[in-house]
Amino acid sequence: MAKKKEEQNSFEYSYKRLEEILEKLENQGEENSLEDILNYYQEGLKLLKICRQKLSEAELKIEKINAEELK
Amino acid sequence: MTEPITISELTRELKALVESEFKFIYVIAEISNFKRHTPSGHCYFILKDESSQINATLWSFRYNHLNFNPQDGDKVLIKGKVVLYEPRGTYQIDVTDMQKTGLGELQAAFEKLKDKLQEEGLFESERKRKLPEFPEKVGIVTSETGAVIQDFKNVTKKRYPVAKILLFPTLVQGAGSAENVCRAIRQANNAKYNLDIIVVARGGGSMEDLWTFNEEIVAREVFNSRVPVVSAIGHEPDFTICDFVADLRAPTPSAAAEMIFPDKQELLERINQIDYYIKIYIKDRVEVYYSSLENIENSYFFKKPVDMLNEYKMRTDDIQKDIERITKEKLSRVKESLLNKEKLLNSISPEQTLKRGFTYIIKDGKLISRKVKVKEGEDITVRFYDGDVKSKVESL
Repeated sequence: MAKKKEEQNSFEYSYKRLEEILEKLENQGEENSLEDILNYYQEGLKLLKICRQKLSEAELKIEKINAEELK
Repeated sequence: MTEPITISELTRELKALVESEFKFIYVIAEISNFKRHTPSGHCYFILKDESSQINATLWSFRYNHLNFNPQDGDKVLIKGKVVLYEPRGTYQIDVTDMQKTGLGELQAAFEKLKDKLQEEGLFESERKRKLPEFPEKVGIVTSETGAVIQDFKNVTKKRYPVAKILLFPTLVQGAGSAENVCRAIRQANNAKYNLDIIVVARGGGSMEDLWTFNEEIVAREVFNSRVPVVSAIGHEPDFTICDFVADLRAPTPSAAAEMIFPDKQELLERINQIDYYIKIYIKDRVEVYYSSLENIENSYFFKKPVDMLNEYKMRTDDIQKDIERITKEKLSRVKESLLNKEKLLNSISPEQTLKRGFTYIIKDGKLISRKVKVKEGEDITVRFYDGDVKSKVESL
């Protein structure tokens, strides 16, 4: 469960959720209430911002791991 | 008995015999006692096997064309000819070309291990794991110096800087390198690093250079890795055992980065596309709601109360008009009949009669229509058309 929050902040989560929302809007539109649609829309806008930000602001991080003794 | 001959003659005959018989030969041997003379650069060494040996020479200009540096113990295939050195009566091999044959043995070992591991099922495609679409933490097992880590870093930086790379430095060649690589893979499997993918990478080199990745222990370590392994050893045509066992084989370390990471530009394009579709979609939906609202508004039942009201309004207006019209008509009728009555009245009024010469008698303001109503001596008034005349009754 501790991993859950980390996942939600990841690019992967945001992007996949975005695709999901688009699919929901496209395929189940007739079943969605106006409120649902507006909620999806708002979430979509938020996720778009997050995804763009993550891609444009990301700087490659490289960490060197020192050899450790293994049993 | 034949005629005796001299040493020189014998030597010459031997030379002719040997050199014509062995003027173009291939020989497999092991090098020993290899010496390169300075400054001439000519090489002198011994070619041998388990039970025999022959001296050999390699001239400087040929040495420069070899694709390796010969060392003692190297197993070689040589091309050359046998020459006989008359002053000493010795023979040797004049080497014109030389290749290492150790490769053949390595190749055999490679094939043998490959067959063995294939038999055991280490290469089964069913056990190859699918790599995550968006790897966030990737471990790379490679040398910390050299082009590989730089290439991998550069490609990743361009494609998917969202990722985090953990470098697990290791020897990639030479004594102890196989154990070193195994240790690094085990270390990268530690749950604390939470890696999505491990890339085992090494730049190009000869088969011997890449041999570490053909070692059985490395193959088994890759097989046992909990985290999916991408093998990126050498250049395109090179295949190692490690490549066969890994979940994915990349032809080069740069290609590995291209294969495992999504491309930032493509992602941005896709995101823009999603943005566009979401907005279009919302607009469409809102429009649909709007037009259905309009439909409801214009529907017969929704409009009925308004229509009814309008109808009542119209009807009351009509009624009002009717009332006005009828009243007006009535009034004018009354007016007309009044006029008629007036005419009639006028026609029967005494005035006209008086005008014709008649008079009437008034006594005490009352009209006297009979003789009996008057007495002698009484005052009466005779009314003419144009005035009254006071009179007195004289006799009856």
